Amino acid sequence: MTAAAARPDIPAIIPAVGPSGDSGPILSVRGIHKRFPGVHALKGVNLDVRAGEVHALVGENGAGKSTLMHILAGVHRPDEGSIDFRGRTDVAIASEREAQRLGIAIVYQERSLFDPLSIAENVFAGRQPAGACGFIDRRRLRERTRGLLEMVGLAVEPDVPLSALSPAERQMVEIAKALSLDARLIIFDEPTAALTDAETSTLFGVIGLLKKSGVGIIYISHRLEEVFEIADRVSVLKDGEWQATLPVAGTTPGDLVARMVGRDLSVFTRRMAPDRATGTPRLEVRGLCDPPEAAGAGFSRVRLRGIDFSVRAGEVVALAGLNGSGRTEAALAIFGARPRGGGEILVDGRRIDPPSPASAIAAGIGYLPEDRKDAGLFLEMSVERNITAARLARRGGFWLDDAESRSVAEDFRRKMRIACRDVRQAVRSLSGGNQQKVMLARWLLVGPRVLIVDEPTRGVDVGSKAEVHALLYELAARGTAVVVISSDLPEALAVADRILVLREGCISGEISGADATEEKVLRLASIAVER
Amino acid sequence: MTPRAPDSAGRRPRWTSLPREVVLGALIVLIVLLLWLAGLVYPQLSTFFTLGNLSAILRNLAFEGILATGMMLLLVAGVFDLSVGSMASLSGVVAGWLMKKAGWPVPLAVAGALGTAAFGGFLNGVIVAKVRVNALITTLGTMGVFSGIALLIGGPGITFLPESFSRLGQEEFLGIQAPVWLMAALAGTAGFLLWRTRFFRQYYYIGSNPKAAHLSGINVEGMQILAFTIAGTIAGLAGIVYASRIQTASSTVGVGAELQAITAVILGGASLTGGRGTIFGAMVGVFFMALMKNLLIILRTSSEWQGIILGAVLVLAVGADSIMNRRQER
Repeated sequence: MTAAAARPDIPAIIPAVGPSGDSGPILSVRGIHKRFPGVHALKGVNLDVRAGEVHALVGENGAGKSTLMHILAGVHRPDEGSIDFRGRTDVAIASEREAQRLGIAIVYQERSLFDPLSIAENVFAGRQPAGACGFIDRRRLRERTRGLLEMVGLAVEPDVPLSALSPAERQMVEIAKALSLDARLIIFDEPTAALTDAETSTLFGVIGLLKKSGVGIIYISHRLEEVFEIADRVSVLKDGEWQATLPVAGTTPGDLVARMVGRDLSVFTRRMAPDRATGTPRLEVRGLCDPPEAAGAGFSRVRLRGIDFSVRAGEVVALAGLNGSGRTEAALAIFGARPRGGGEILVDGRRIDPPSPASAIAAGIGYLPEDRKDAGLFLEMSVERNITAARLARRGGFWLDDAESRSVAEDFRRKMRIACRDVRQAVRSLSGGNQQKVMLARWLLVGPRVLIVDEPTRGVDVGSKAEVHALLYELAARGTAVVVISSDLPEALAVADRILVLREGCISGEISGADATEEKVLRLASIAVER
Repeated sequence: MTPRAPDSAGRRPRWTSLPREVVLGALIVLIVLLLWLAGLVYPQLSTFFTLGNLSAILRNLAFEGILATGMMLLLVAGVFDLSVGSMASLSGVVAGWLMKKAGWPVPLAVAGALGTAAFGGFLNGVIVAKVRVNALITTLGTMGVFSGIALLIGGPGITFLPESFSRLGQEEFLGIQAPVWLMAALAGTAGFLLWRTRFFRQYYYIGSNPKAAHLSGINVEGMQILAFTIAGTIAGLAGIVYASRIQTASSTVGVGAELQAITAVILGGASLTGGRGTIFGAMVGVFFMALMKNLLIILRTSSEWQGIILGAVLVLAVGADSIMNRRQER
């Protein structure tokens, strides 16, 4: 181990270290705490990873997996706790560069790659081997890259531009990059989310090789069957707390799920299930799927594979599922903001055609996007103008009536208790909860028949959360069909009359709100049903 | 929910929180006042206030003022158009060619030229909004194309245009030439539409956040195509008016005019990132630039200095704005 550390110039060629017999932990994390404004993300987490071990990390959305990985990769710094790595006690990982220098690499989902550049330039980004005058040594660059590509089993020339590669091949380039850093600990963050089955088995082959060479591996995945296929041990995080570290051989998927669930529900007041047995469906979704080879630029690679459900007037339905299960994609497709391959959407029995946000809005669908700032708000514009945005494009008078707009906005400000000093204030300066209320007001103003809200309380403080929920109930009570997407499982359980669970672009099950437990939902969301 | 301090950011209305066009407008008034005072001491400066000089300023700014109206619309929508200068040349030449060489009656020739300009703008719009080529690249390309076609049709220019046509640009009313009235009418109409109608208000949303605008049901692509079409037509109008005033359709009249228009519009409060600006601001920007140029001429500075000074003023104005905005956000 130490020999390799002394010569960082040598690429981490596999034979460096064989797995030593007992091999104490290569990484040892003790009592890590991390607090973000309003969130205690990690509460005394422990984690040991041995050399030559694949250590899986599982937990619900928001359990703290990403935060922990970001601390190891130098993106965040812990508030408390210590990290020992490769025999050095209490290392401070102050930056991403520092993590690289220590030998910790994180394989993101092709997030750290540069499309137009060659594979070699990607692998050695910013660290290209150079000659005496500082010029890049192309020959050495190519050769070293070729060696690394061989190790990860990628038979492609180093000069090929990255844009020519498939998702799996890009993943391999990421791994080659990690190897070039002489990494002794490699973190895989949901590596198979974008991969086909064949590509996944290639990846597992490479992970097996890395394992043999004594690299420690942290493997994060929502797919429990993968954990059982590839991992030696598994650690469970729940709500920022470390639950257990278990040998995979001695546990079952059901056992893991049971350890992952059970967060504090006290923040949410469970709503009384109202009697709404009658009523025709307001929203019907039939056979919704992605176009055969679309989902191109700007869209994630999750594929929708035939989604059917309906929501009655006054009903609140939650779409649950893990990240990458297709919840947001389904919402976008229903709203007409994502190309649709097949299926139809009906509101009150009438088909929406053509699929576009404008026709969805005309049919009475409202959508609150997941990312408020990126896709929802007009940040520089006033509260008033943000509230009236969706009304603008609909039929209405030719002339604007600013006085009327202002009084409407003032009305919402009072009713929804939006904390701002003036409705002419730019929304940029509002808090997250208040921004979300502005978004809700926009749709309340047009009185939607169907409202889809994607992560309505993300980044919203507890008090505002309850207020947002109350607004959703109020809408439902007035006959709107409400669809809630939430990564926060307790929230989904608390607000919904019915829960639809998505898994890999399909609905894997439906549970009525009264019977729902976190465990039931998580089983449907993370364990493949035997076919 | 903790109530925010009611006046956390805006207790004192600082000058930095005023829109740029208001600051600039105040600056114009200040400069004119200073000029008047200075004129008492240096008689050379008082030539500024002669009727001849004032009417020359107006006459000269009409062309850019008309172009700036269309440019402001585009910048509000988050795009811009480098081809408006070439389009002005092209439409003047087309009008001249139609009435001199093809023998069309003047109204028809003008309509034909305006149609050409509208089509050119529409083309820009389709390439930017539908094909999704960046606006800089698209209009940089069409700038070359339009000016090339203008040269092909008109050579260096078409002279001695019919009397009935040149009257359009030379007529005076209340001692002010028709192009100035036209600019005022156009800016007034555009300003009012942008300020008061639902339809045109959509441009602020599109410029501010196109993704959110799309998700709010706004037809972003269609609206952008329309904006380019309008801006192209306005550029065509500017070219026709200019040709009429000098009774000559020159193929190079619009060279550099697009940059002048963008400079004026940005000085007047628009932002390259879109969603900001008013037609009033565009006019203030045009006036400010015309005033500076005129002053430099009166002070007998060489023309090289105009570029240096106007360029520096632009960077200073926008830079100061940017620094102040960042300070406020903190």
